[in-house]
Amino acid sequence: MAAILAERRHGFGFVTPLLVVMLAAFNLPILYMLALGFWSKQGGFTTEHYAALFDAPIYLRVLANTLRISVVATLVNVAIGYPLAYWMRGLSPRAQFIAVACVITPFWISILVRTYAWIVVLGNNGMVNRLLQWTGLTDAPVSFLYNELGVMIGMANVLLPFLVLPLFAAMLRIDDRLMQAAASMGAPPRTIFLKVFLPLTMPALASGALLVFILCLGFYVTPAILGGGKVPMISNLLDFLINQIPRWEQASAVSTILLVVTLLIFAAYRALDRKVGA
Amino acid sequence: MTDIRLEAISKHYGAFKAADNVDLAVAQGEFVTILGPSGSGKTTLLSLIAGLNQPSTGRILIGGRDVTGSSPQQRNVGLVFQSYALFPHMSVFDNVAFPLRVRKTPADALRRKVMAALELVQLHGLAGRRPAQLSGGQQQRVALARAFVFEPDILLLDEPLGALDRKLREELQVELKQLQRRLGVTTILVTHDQEEALSLSDRVMVLDRGQVQQIAAPQEAYLRPANRFVADFLGIANFVPLPGGREGVIRPERIRLAAAGGLPAQVVEAVYLGQIIRYHLTAEGRNFVAAAPFVGQPHAIGDTVSLTWVEADVWPVA
Amino acid sequence: MKRRTLLAGAAALRLVAVIRPASAQLREMRMVESGGKSGESIDVGYAAPFTAKTGIRLVRESPGNLGKLQAMIASGRITAASFELGSGTMVQARKLGLIEKLDWAAINPMPMFPEAKNEFGFGYQYFSTIMAWRKAAKAPQNWVDFFNTKDFPGKRAIPDYPAYAIAFALLSEGVPQDKLFPLDVDRGLKKLLSIRRDISVLWKAGAQAPQLLKDNEVQYAIAWSGRVVEEPDLAYSFNGGMADLSFICTVKGAPKAEQEAMNKLYYEMSVPENQAKAAGVIAYTGPSPALDPLLPKDKIGMFPTAKANKDVQWVQNAEWWAENGESANKKWEEFKLSL
Repeated sequence: MAAILAERRHGFGFVTPLLVVMLAAFNLPILYMLALGFWSKQGGFTTEHYAALFDAPIYLRVLANTLRISVVATLVNVAIGYPLAYWMRGLSPRAQFIAVACVITPFWISILVRTYAWIVVLGNNGMVNRLLQWTGLTDAPVSFLYNELGVMIGMANVLLPFLVLPLFAAMLRIDDRLMQAAASMGAPPRTIFLKVFLPLTMPALASGALLVFILCLGFYVTPAILGGGKVPMISNLLDFLINQIPRWEQASAVSTILLVVTLLIFAAYRALDRKVGA
Repeated sequence: MTDIRLEAISKHYGAFKAADNVDLAVAQGEFVTILGPSGSGKTTLLSLIAGLNQPSTGRILIGGRDVTGSSPQQRNVGLVFQSYALFPHMSVFDNVAFPLRVRKTPADALRRKVMAALELVQLHGLAGRRPAQLSGGQQQRVALARAFVFEPDILLLDEPLGALDRKLREELQVELKQLQRRLGVTTILVTHDQEEALSLSDRVMVLDRGQVQQIAAPQEAYLRPANRFVADFLGIANFVPLPGGREGVIRPERIRLAAAGGLPAQVVEAVYLGQIIRYHLTAEGRNFVAAAPFVGQPHAIGDTVSLTWVEADVWPVA
Repeated sequence: MKRRTLLAGAAALRLVAVIRPASAQLREMRMVESGGKSGESIDVGYAAPFTAKTGIRLVRESPGNLGKLQAMIASGRITAASFELGSGTMVQARKLGLIEKLDWAAINPMPMFPEAKNEFGFGYQYFSTIMAWRKAAKAPQNWVDFFNTKDFPGKRAIPDYPAYAIAFALLSEGVPQDKLFPLDVDRGLKKLLSIRRDISVLWKAGAQAPQLLKDNEVQYAIAWSGRVVEEPDLAYSFNGGMADLSFICTVKGAPKAEQEAMNKLYYEMSVPENQAKAAGVIAYTGPSPALDPLLPKDKIGMFPTAKANKDVQWVQNAEWWAENGESANKKWEEFKLSL
C-alpha cells in the first residue's frame, strides 16, 4: 500500500509541469478576468461594475434571453438527438458507421459556412421553400429564417453531434438482454423503454444535454446570422463590451455572472447525478 | 400446470440451420437440460421457447396453447441469462419486483412476494443493494428470484451457472435442483457442461449442429448413448470392438485393472482425482481410460496391467 | 551544442538586438485594417507608390477592432504601426490614449476635405450609409418613404449598429439633417419599433445587406454604399445618406522610424491620382476635393464624395457617438429584445 502511494506520489511528480502549465494557461486568465470586474479605473477595489449591471437591466435581460434560448435549443436537441441515437443503435454495424459519419461530418465544416448554407437551404428562394411551393403545399414562402426558428435549426445542426455521439455510445453499451429479460417478464415495449432503456441512458443524456446547454450559452455567429440579429445573445453583448467600446471591466462583470450561472447549473446537475447514482 | 411441446421446430439463418426439425416434449414439473457444444443451437432453441425469436417452421405449445408467433410478454416465462441481465440502475428489491410491477401487483402483496423470493435464494438481507455491489453468485440468485417471483408457467435457464467458479457452481447446482423441486415449475436449462446436465435434470436432450442426438434420462444417455457423439460428449468413452465389426462404448469406471486374465495394457499416465485415480492406458494399439478407487498402492507409469470388464457394460454404438 | 558556443551565440544575439534599431534599415511595417476589397484598395492605391519610393513593405493584417488595439497597447508589444478605425472608434481610441497625434506639418498633404484632416487620424476613405432596394420594388425618394411600409410594402434590413440606423428613423420623422445631433435615441427607436413587423434582419456584416436583397429576403435595406452601388439588380439613393470616414491612425508608442514612415504613407494617401486607383478597387473615395475629374465618368454617381452625392448627405457625428455610444447601445439591445 505504502509502495503504491509512493508510486502515486512519484507519478504526480511527472505530471506537475503539465499541471502548472494548465493552471497558468487556463486558470490564470480566468482569475485575471474575475479580478478585472472588481478593478476600478482609478485603481483599487470597486463593485461599481456589478452595480451597473443591476442599474441597466438590459444585461440581465439579455442574459435571461440567452438562458431561455439555450434551454429551448437544448430541448430541441434532445428531442431530435435522442430518437436519432436510438434509431442508429438499431442499425447494422455498416449502417451505423455511415450514420456516425453523417453526424460527424458537420464538425469538419466551418460553423460560418454551415450557417450560411442554411440560408441557401431555408431562405425565401431556398431549396425547401421552392420545393414547398412547387409541390403546392404552400403558396407563399415560409419564414424559416430570421426568427427563433432559424436560430434553433442552426444551433441544432451545430450542436447535435455533441449530444448524439455520447448518447449513441452509451446506448451501444446497453446489453440487449436487459430488454429481452424485461420482455420475458411481461413488460410491454413502452414500459421497457421508460423503466429500463431510458434510465440507463439518462446519465449520458444529462451530461450531453448539459454540454449542449453550456455551448449554447456561448453561441454567437449562428443567432446573429440566422436570427436576423433579432435574437440577442450574451456573447454579442460581450463582443460589444470587449471589442467595440471597450469596457473590459464591465465585460468581466457580465462574464462572471454568466460563469456563476453556468457553475450553478453544473452544480445542480452534479447534485442530481449523485442523487440518481446513490 | 404446464407442459412444453416443440413440434418439428426449425430455425434457419440463410443456409445455416441453428435448429433442425427439433421435437421435444417436456412434462409438467419436469427438469430438462439441453446439452450441446457451443454453436449446437441450444441457446437458439431456448430463445425460440421464450419468444425472443420466432422459428422458421414448426410449432411451440406451452400448456397446450400454441404460442408460435406470440411475443415474450404473452408467454409467462421466467428467463435467466448467463449474464444475469440484472437492471443495473435498480436495487435487488426493485429488480425482483419488476415483473410484479408490470403485472400491477398490489404493494403489500408485491412486498411479501419479493421478500419471500429473496428468502428462498437466501438474499433477504441484501434487498437494498445494487447489482454491482453483489458477488457473482449473489447476482445469479437475484436473477433466479426475479425469474420465478411472478410464478411463471415455465422457467428457462441459459447457462445460469456458467460464469461462476467451480465450487460455487456445485453448491448452486444443489440449490437450484431443490428450488425447482419445491416450486414444481417446468424447467428447461441450457448448458454445455455435461456434469451439470447429468446432476440436475430429469432428462437431457443432446444437441449437435441443430439436430437432436438423444433425449433420455441422464444415466440412460451416459451408459447407453445413442451414438458416438453422445458417448464422447457425455464424459470419457472407451471404444472397444464388438463381434460383427461393430463398436461398443464402455465408461472408465466400468473397467477394472487386474493382475492377469484380461487384456494386457501399459499405464501411460495416472491422474489423481481425490476419491479416484484415472489411468490412461494403451492396449493393442488402442487408448483406454480407466477409473479406479484410490485404495492401496496405485500402479506406476510403465506398469503392465490387465484390463477386464463385464460384456453387459459395453453398449453398442453406430 | 557545447555550452560555450551557446553562451557565445546568446551574446551575439544580444549584440544584434542592441545595434539593430540604429543601423538596420526599416524593411517592413504592419497595418491592421478591415480587409477584403478595402484592404486591396490600400495596396493598389497607396502601398504600391509608398513602397516604390521608400523600399518599405506594408504588411496588412485584418480585421481589427478597438479591443485588439487596447490589448496591443496593454501588452506593450506594438506589433503594428498603424490601425484603421471608424470615426467614432477613433474618438474613443483618442480618449483612451491608444493613438498618436499626427504631425500634419511633417505629412504635408495635398489638399483634403477638412473633416478628413483629423488631429489624430487620416480620414482616408469615405463610405456612405444609404438606402438600397430591389429594382422590382417601388422606389423610395427619401427616408419618409423608406419608413412608410404601407405605401412601400416589403421587408427591411437595417444595420445592427445603432450609429448607422437610428438617425435615419429621425430623418423620416422630419428632423432636419443639421439638427440630428444631439440624437434623440428614444424617439428614433420608437420609430423603428413602429415598423418592427417589416424589419426582417438586423445585419452585422456589410456583405449581408446586398445578399439579402438579391435573395429577395428583404426588398429594402440600409446598406453601406460600396456594397450595393455596383449590383445590377439593385437600386440606391444617396439622398439623406450618411457620409462617414474611415481613419488610419498611428498606434501609440510605435517605433520612431515607423512613425516617420507612416507620415510618408499618409502623404501618398492624400494624392488624388492614388485615390482614384483605390476607388477603382472599391467604390469608396479618398478625401481629395480634386478627385472627381479623375474618376470614371459613367460611375461617378456611385462614389460618396462625388459632388452631387456629397451635397445631399450629412456627416456622421463621431464625437457624439464616442460620448453616448454605450448608453445608446444599451437602448439598442432593449430595442432588439422588443422586436
